[in-house]
Amino acid sequence: MTEETTLDELGIAVRLAAPRRPFVLIQLEGPGAPREVPLELPEFVVGRSLQAHFTIDSSRISRQHFTLRRQGPDYLLTDLDSANGVFLNGVRVHSAVLRDGDMVQIGDVVLLYREGDG
Amino acid sequence: MSLFVRFWGTRGSIPTPGHSTRRYGGNTSCVEVRVDDALFICDGGTGMRELGEALLARSSDPVDAHLLLSHTHWDHIQGFPFFLPAYRSTTTLRVYDVERDDDRVHRLLLGQMRPEYFPVDFSELGSRIVPSHLDGGCTTIEGVTVRAFEQVHPGRSFAFSFAKGGTKVVYATDSELDRTVINRSDILDRPHALRALPRDALAFVADADLLIADAQYNDDDYRDGWGHARANTVVDFAIQAGAKQLVLFHHDPTQTDADVDGKVERAMARIRAAGAALTVFGAREGLELKLG
Ligand SMILES: [Zn+2]
Ligand SMILES: [Zn+2]
Repeated sequence: MTEETTLDELGIAVRLAAPRRPFVLIQLEGPGAPREVPLELPEFVVGRSLQAHFTIDSSRISRQHFTLRRQGPDYLLTDLDSANGVFLNGVRVHSAVLRDGDMVQIGDVVLLYREGDG
Repeated sequence: MSLFVRFWGTRGSIPTPGHSTRRYGGNTSCVEVRVDDALFICDGGTGMRELGEALLARSSDPVDAHLLLSHTHWDHIQGFPFFLPAYRSTTTLRVYDVERDDDRVHRLLLGQMRPEYFPVDFSELGSRIVPSHLDGGCTTIEGVTVRAFEQVHPGRSFAFSFAKGGTKVVYATDSELDRTVINRSDILDRPHALRALPRDALAFVADADLLIADAQYNDDDYRDGWGHARANTVVDFAIQAGAKQLVLFHHDPTQTDADVDGKVERAMARIRAAGAALTVFGAREGLELKLG
């Protein structure tokens, strides 16, 4: 066995052992930013309430503002009848299947959605 | 009153799966319009399959839907044989022609399920499929005013509008709007000049809260006579009609996500240059809007 193949095998082993990259919400603007939250649950609530999975302390956000629900390989965003609505890439939406790089704006908060592989 | 619009298929001509169309890709034309309890399905492109699954998952109540086809080109009917509720005896599906004595839509849906094309015969669908009509172009269905408008497209096509309680949605795909532009020579000579559209088309769309419109082409890849519009022409249409929100629909099969984003950005720039208050975005599957 040459030194090269040993390194190759090592590389493969390291990749297999690496943790899977989680889906994340990255808060870019608004109270608490910058911060990042991994989406580890099948359903994830974002809002002002302390009971939300991702709590954001802003008066322009409803207690339970929107959910992210896992649907196969995707996350489905749904507005929970919030007072100020959910804007996806600048467009007010009721619900949407999110895609990598989507910008979600609620009140004064901007969130970036990044797809993982987990 | 509640009015929801959900996109199940947004591509033109043929489905476009794959990595380069993750955001805007997938199925051909199918849009769900829900007004209170009334369910309208605009076109039966391949997106209709997933709509069928969603309807069955959403509720155990029988499916009762109104199916309006802009026309019967493949990309607007191919999902119909895969629409699971059509196989349930509890389902009622009203299929609309515009004219009273026309049964073309019903005949062609039936025709695409002949044994040469599909393993299940139309007569084996267990649901109640009722040929219906829009009474020459305007009728009231479950309290919703539904209108039809004939468009320029090979073999002709229809736009539909849905209005209730002061909220109006227009679905206008497969329309070569460019052929109806009054100052047509300006499109090439002065591309930034406003493209004037005929009064009857503007009246049909007037003050729509949402206009879903065929915007298959850019100015530089437009194909004359293929039956589809330039996005810039559609922007001018929406501005002149006083629409509030414009959805660029029926993306060309060659367009990647980056191409569609570019089309949307150019549309935004045109709106800004006109000083108009119009929102625009590219139609994408899985997006649902609440209006009214
Ligand atoms: Zn088409
Ligand atoms: Zn067509």
